Amino acid sequence: MASTTSNSVGGQTNVRSVRPVLRERLAPWAFRAPLIFMVIFFAIPMAMTVVFSVFERTMFWMEPGFTLQAYENFFFSARLTNFLNSMKYSLISVVICFILGFPIAVFVRKSIPLVAQHRVVLLFILPFMVSEIIRVFALRPVLQRNGLLNTTLTNLGIIDEPITALLYTHTGVVIGEVMSFLPFIIFSGFLAMEAVPKFIFEVCDDLGVGPWRRFKDVILPLAAPGIFAGSVFIFVNGLGVALLPNILGGAGAVNAGLIATQAISALDFPLAMAVSAIMMATLMTLLWIGHKLFDLTKILTPLS
Amino acid sequence: MNEQTAAAVEVRNLSKSYGNFVALKNVNVTIAAGEYFVLLGPSGGGKTTLLRTIGGFQKPTSGEILLHGKSVGHLPPDKRPTTMVFQAYALFPHMNVMQNVGYGLKVAGLPKAQIAEKVDHALQQVGLTQFENRKPHELSGGQQQRVQLARAIVLDRDILLLDEPLAALDAQLRKDMCLELKHLQEKVGITFIHVTHNQEEAMTVADRIALIASGDLVEVGRARDIYRAPEKSFTAGFVGENNILKGEALEVTGTTATVDVAGSKLRIDTRGLSVEKGQALTLSIRSECVGLEQVNGDAPASDGMSIVGAYNESVYLGLTTSHLVRLPDGTEMVSRIIADTEAALPPAGAAVRLHWKPDDIRLHVQ
Amino acid sequence: MNEYDNPWLHRLKWTYLLLVVLTLMIPVLYVMYISFNANGFGANDYVFTLEWYGLILSDEILIGALRWTLTLAVVVTLIAVPMALLAAKYYKTADKKLFVVFLLLAPLFVPPDILGSALLVSFKNLNAVFIWLGDGLGTSLFDSWFRLSFMTAAIGLIIYTLPYSFVVILITMGRYRKEQTEAARACGANGWRAFWDIEFPQIRAGVFSACAFTVILVFNEYTRTSLLKGGFDTFTTVLISQMLNTGMSPQSYAMSALISFVAIAVIGSIILITLIRAETLARIARGKPEPVTP
Repeated sequence: MASTTSNSVGGQTNVRSVRPVLRERLAPWAFRAPLIFMVIFFAIPMAMTVVFSVFERTMFWMEPGFTLQAYENFFFSARLTNFLNSMKYSLISVVICFILGFPIAVFVRKSIPLVAQHRVVLLFILPFMVSEIIRVFALRPVLQRNGLLNTTLTNLGIIDEPITALLYTHTGVVIGEVMSFLPFIIFSGFLAMEAVPKFIFEVCDDLGVGPWRRFKDVILPLAAPGIFAGSVFIFVNGLGVALLPNILGGAGAVNAGLIATQAISALDFPLAMAVSAIMMATLMTLLWIGHKLFDLTKILTPLS
Repeated sequence: MNEQTAAAVEVRNLSKSYGNFVALKNVNVTIAAGEYFVLLGPSGGGKTTLLRTIGGFQKPTSGEILLHGKSVGHLPPDKRPTTMVFQAYALFPHMNVMQNVGYGLKVAGLPKAQIAEKVDHALQQVGLTQFENRKPHELSGGQQQRVQLARAIVLDRDILLLDEPLAALDAQLRKDMCLELKHLQEKVGITFIHVTHNQEEAMTVADRIALIASGDLVEVGRARDIYRAPEKSFTAGFVGENNILKGEALEVTGTTATVDVAGSKLRIDTRGLSVEKGQALTLSIRSECVGLEQVNGDAPASDGMSIVGAYNESVYLGLTTSHLVRLPDGTEMVSRIIADTEAALPPAGAAVRLHWKPDDIRLHVQ
Repeated sequence: MNEYDNPWLHRLKWTYLLLVVLTLMIPVLYVMYISFNANGFGANDYVFTLEWYGLILSDEILIGALRWTLTLAVVVTLIAVPMALLAAKYYKTADKKLFVVFLLLAPLFVPPDILGSALLVSFKNLNAVFIWLGDGLGTSLFDSWFRLSFMTAAIGLIIYTLPYSFVVILITMGRYRKEQTEAARACGANGWRAFWDIEFPQIRAGVFSACAFTVILVFNEYTRTSLLKGGFDTFTTVLISQMLNTGMSPQSYAMSALISFVAIAVIGSIILITLIRAETLARIARGKPEPVTP
């Protein structure tokens, strides 16, 4: 029956209750550490922006108190119009990104064999791997008066005069946003399309459903959570990355991120906090709306 | 059960729920040391939950589990005297067969030479000595399961749990592995607890079978006992090919009850169960115990051991032929003939009489 | 692509896909092109040279900044990737999945300038509180705990990179089968050993990808780092402040090209390696029986 060697394993294991070793006690906490870290260093500071935004501004810093001066500075000035403007352009960028990028995600899911799909998506990580900032700066020599685009077009004889509307304008900012964030709509679209099983395409073909109807009635509802998340990402980053209007925008181009960083340079910290708080509120509202409409947890089902 | 054989596993009042879903309701069962015990039941019925709770992969909601007399409810799997064989995907893909089988010994800190010796012995017992350096993906399904068995028995633990170990194999391989499992258990001599939904598998290997469905332990017994003499109607419906008849008790005299089934009066032994007049009863009879003969429109016999119906159709399966008969109230009854005959079949709709011996029909109260 | 699809339409879609990738890469490729030109941007003659790269390597400030960036990258990776691993394991068994996901992925949705500003103010306030506490207790022990410094920059970068590592590791864990850990436990291994001996070797690729990812992200990051770093300089902050103040000089082209080269090289090799190993890995992981040549 049991082995005759002297060291037998298991067998009549003594199942007396083992005193919990210190390590076993600590283990659950180790797993919670990342969450605790995020709460302390992310959630709380972001929540505190609201508190700080009502502090009083001093010469070099700020003082605890309660004043709505910072919000007044924001709402009753050109800053508000600029902010709303930048929202408009961000929205345009989102739409352009979606039109240009989502069909790619659908194509990859539908027509490329499963094993190759991830590799194709990896192709898009390539531009993403180059620093966002550098990609934005790199647009200057391309879009400038004497930049790559203009020289190529002139050399090809397509235009006589260089196009100046591409840089230091709102168009430039939109181009910059699209170039920076297009990979994200492809990633989130790809993840979102997990919710659309392959056979749907075959069924639609079978029933004679045209591509537009298929998109509207089948793909969009199923992939909505992922698309929405990707769109929110692009929208919020368009509002918040200061370098976009800074480098590519014209004289008045400004977004929330730029307002915040300029405020910090000007040592007006409550204003910076106010802008941050407003951005966080916008973000939370968008995510909450999305969750109510689509149940955003569905995005992570392919991962869990 | 032999009182001198110590219980290897005792499950007392075990319940397990996931939120609102109740997986196990108050299960009590005792498994003897050295026994080949099978948990049989439909999918989702709780048998795997019970096995995993015994193994420590799930915590009971209430109740306790005793292994060799000691309560283990709070112990993780690595601290219990159990080990487990899984249905699939449980071999470590980055290790070869020898490393897989020796893993538990390595964890226990045994010296290399001893590990090699024990691994070799275990592989001999499952017949895989030539495969030491293969990786799991280079083995067939049956070979993979045998490696799992080797990995489990090399640890010299007393209780081996098997979670549907043959489910991923095709039918012929399953039959072969069944016998191998039985022989292995007899050779090694430890307690095997085997979960399956396949009745044939269960009856091939088991010393005793526990039928588990909808979270309840329905019945426990030897294969022979639950096949021939099921206590509960569910058992009759799950094991073997039984006819399940519903009727109403007309009268009870001594140990015999007269039951009205589809208009016929049947007599049945109450086997000590309490039956009242007017009570709804279930009767079961194995289809191979039901004989079939044509009648010429005579009145139904009143011997209490037969019933008249209309012939429906037959199903020829080579070894057996099943005759399907429709009773007056719409129920279908099956008479199974175990012989390959060329006898002419009755025409559809013809009046036929189904008959059986008194010992073959069983009463169930529920 | 199934047999009834129009092959030309398929090729068209492929061409579009590749065009998009190319278009996204063009600005960077152009910058690299310029960086080798002795005459810089806009000049008509193109003279190939490596002098701008040479200038970088001889610039003390830049080398120093590079060293800081490297240190940041290593420290952040060493902290963020294990944290992502712990978080992924916790997520798999957690009840309140929404809370975990939200907390871990939220930083993706907070733009860099906003995150940087909020953390900057929080840290400065925290520092002030600690100093006040220290004064009250009569010690200067924690006077500079949360002064803007390497640590604050590291914290900001950890928050930034954690979501990416988390997602990459979760995706890799998706292919890992739970039965493996259970089998290891049944063999007598405790939780830690089961992880280290059995699970980790199978998710190793994902963890290393997460590490590479994090290193590149830290190298490339500007906004959060510049807001939170305090006294020292990183490669990107030197580069960007140069470009913001004096415009894009040939040297800055070279610097931009350099980081891009490194990033593309690292990711390119990872893509290649996964391409080559993908088939064998998949087969091994599935443990699928295949005919063996005797």
